Amino acid sequence: MNHINKAFGRNEVLRDVSFSIKGGEICALLGENGAGKSTLMNILGGVLKQDSGSIVINYHEVNFQSPADSQKQGIAFIHQELNLINDLPIYENMFLGRELKTKSGALDLEKMQKETARMFQKMKLELNPTTMVHDLDASYKQIVEICKAMMANASIIIMDEPTTSLTEQEIERVFTMMRTMKEHEVGIIFISHKLNEVMEICDRFVVLRDGNLVTDGNISDVSTHDLARYMVGYDVRTESLRREKKLGEEVLRVEGLTSEPFFKDIDFSIHAGEIVGFTGLLGDGRSELFQTIFGAEGIPEGKLCLNGDKVTIRSTTQAIEKGIAYLPRNRKENAIIKDMNIIENASIVTWPIFANRGIIYAEKHKEVFESHRRTLRIKMGELTDSINSLSGGNQQKVVLAKWLAANPQLLILDNPTQGVDVGAKEDIYDIILKLADEKIAIVVLSSEAHEIIRVCDRALVMYHGVIQGELSGQDMTEHQIMTLATGGKLLEEEEGHFNEHIEC
Amino acid sequence: MSTSNVEKLNFFRWFKHKWSNEPLFSTAIALIIMIILQTLVLGFDYDSFGSWFQSWTNNWINILRNNASIGIIALGMTFVIMTGGIDLAVGSTLVATGAFSMILLDTGTKGILGMLGMTGMPAFIATIVLVLLFGYLLGALIGVTITKGNVPPFIVTLGAMLIFRSVTQHFMQGYNTTLPSEFLQIASFNIGNYMIMPIIYWAVIAYILYFVSKRTTFGRQIIAVGSNERAAKLSGVNVDKIKLRVYALMGLLVSIAAIIQVSRVGSMDFSNAGRGMEMDAIAAAVVGGTSMSGGRGFILGTVYGMLIIAVMNNLLNLFGVPPFLREAFKGFIVIGAVLLQRKGNKGNLSPSS
Repeated sequence: MNHINKAFGRNEVLRDVSFSIKGGEICALLGENGAGKSTLMNILGGVLKQDSGSIVINYHEVNFQSPADSQKQGIAFIHQELNLINDLPIYENMFLGRELKTKSGALDLEKMQKETARMFQKMKLELNPTTMVHDLDASYKQIVEICKAMMANASIIIMDEPTTSLTEQEIERVFTMMRTMKEHEVGIIFISHKLNEVMEICDRFVVLRDGNLVTDGNISDVSTHDLARYMVGYDVRTESLRREKKLGEEVLRVEGLTSEPFFKDIDFSIHAGEIVGFTGLLGDGRSELFQTIFGAEGIPEGKLCLNGDKVTIRSTTQAIEKGIAYLPRNRKENAIIKDMNIIENASIVTWPIFANRGIIYAEKHKEVFESHRRTLRIKMGELTDSINSLSGGNQQKVVLAKWLAANPQLLILDNPTQGVDVGAKEDIYDIILKLADEKIAIVVLSSEAHEIIRVCDRALVMYHGVIQGELSGQDMTEHQIMTLATGGKLLEEEEGHFNEHIEC
Repeated sequence: MSTSNVEKLNFFRWFKHKWSNEPLFSTAIALIIMIILQTLVLGFDYDSFGSWFQSWTNNWINILRNNASIGIIALGMTFVIMTGGIDLAVGSTLVATGAFSMILLDTGTKGILGMLGMTGMPAFIATIVLVLLFGYLLGALIGVTITKGNVPPFIVTLGAMLIFRSVTQHFMQGYNTTLPSEFLQIASFNIGNYMIMPIIYWAVIAYILYFVSKRTTFGRQIIAVGSNERAAKLSGVNVDKIKLRVYALMGLLVSIAAIIQVSRVGSMDFSNAGRGMEMDAIAAAVVGGTSMSGGRGFILGTVYGMLIIAVMNNLLNLFGVPPFLREAFKGFIVIGAVLLQRKGNKGNLSPSS
């Protein structure tokens, strides 16, 4: 892609960006939200048309009028929201839109299955083509999508944040797949906010900032720190933010909490001002555990105490009344109400709290939101603009603002930095620490070990619905967390230390 | 809307902006065009302005009055659709609640209130309260089945549609009611020689529900539930309670419509009354910009939608279009309205970078 320019109205999104990729190469496309990554890739994918500049594929200049044109040239765009039909088996998904037919015009199921099996073999995958897509976990869905692209003879595959909703194990699976594709001389453009992954899998990188190409080069020449600095334009902190502090009263105590098959015999307690991390791999049950505590998934067995009193929480409404806040994972599905504007999304939780006889107290909501908007540094237009007009990071901050408005004593953050760029991530970490100083008990659920290490005072690692172990202080390392998360025990010499933690 | 300044500057741009940004704009334009057309068709062939105005007003009062009951039901339907649901049982609820009012108030031998020795004003008030309560309960019953039983609204209300009407017909066969003439005043009380009570009820209810939809917790939570149920639940919205209340409100509004119907006509045809009403109510809501997938709906839009359909029916009548063809026009209007809204909203999509 040479000298690409693109503007929406007066808003220049890309300025003279040139970009190239070879077969058998994985190139990271980096940048904060709004840097122009998606626009650039949408141009390559034929979704948008550049204002000026050219695209050259295999020495031929091409002119894409539609996504179909781009696909014909061997470019496959794998979006964050996968385009698979859950209720069809893998092989039918693989041939969706270009089904193989027998002479009589019926679907040639056998041949499609055979072709799919052959592709899986080539990709060194052990997958049954007749498995239904809804039975696959997120990583295999991603992999099926990649195979689908390969089936269509793709030579360049664009992967837009493929790992956001995956656990570490699944990510490894996708990476293995990517390495196999590399052997087959496919060029991969990898868009991700996770710099560790970029370091692990990519050969080259390109950084965009505000529509300009800032820098590019070989991954082997740089560190994550460098990449982060290129993206935001200033130095980014990566050290742990933990610090000594006095804890307050116990806020939440859980004893023997069980809800089969998601989690069983969960014991822990959290004090005011404490930041506790929960981590693990997919299927560890941490989200279900906290959604249950929040009253969204029915009543569990076991004992739940708030401020020392045993309580039963039947609904989310009740949980909020008791001062619990839960910021869910997967913002788009669980938190954003797309038909409502910014201020409504930011005040939905507090409508019943501030309301006078059921009538919404709009002024109060505005006032409260304005104060949070400043501390959270939300970049936005008018209060009444659509929530969709905001970037991912700012949407997340709005969701956070709606919970802060309710003044919770216990704040549960489930993947708080999901799909959020580096700058906004730092903002969110700062806010978490600040809230802890204000004596709010905070739970951070995250699949990213370094995030837990960075903000949490201690970490509880879950594995298949049970708490596998607890780590704090110097023991809290990515290595230790991974050991516990994969069902292992801690290393010999630390075992005594570890038991001590479990007992308290 | 301070339109005049902008209008002078650049009417075309203002229009285009409104068209693509204000969901009700195209509906309002369509309504205005309909009204102008209707005025033209009615003609100006009168002795004086006074008599023209008289005739124009009468025509309008007729249109509004004839559509008041269905208009009230369409308002409730808008809420139901906004939650992502549907209520096919409104017509049957109408006859069930209508029949109930007759059983209560019959001046013959079978009137329950009469048997209890209740007559006059107390009996009217008791009837109104009990009928409204009955409608509310029928709606709540539907709501409970949908929420607690986790059955799709389409199925529940389809079942209720069959049950309510069939049971009503069974118990009401051979039942000849005579209602006290005072009861008929509810709808036919004249204000300055005009029989406009139904219109007033419609207007008042529309205003109340407009307020509810815009300014109350309940109204906004309806949108949240319809737009993203999971997110609403995780924001502390009691989704089941909202849905339950929406269906109960629907039942309540239907019972109001039933009282208006019964008191206007003095009787009710239990096998035919309210048939197809659910479709008319849905049509009005859809023409008014309500999205069938929930999360987006406009009470004011439904009033416009109802008026567009009503004025069109009136026009077809004035033009002398054969009765069988009239439904086809309604069909075109519904589809056309949605197409227009689609086109208008395209400009809203801003590219995400």
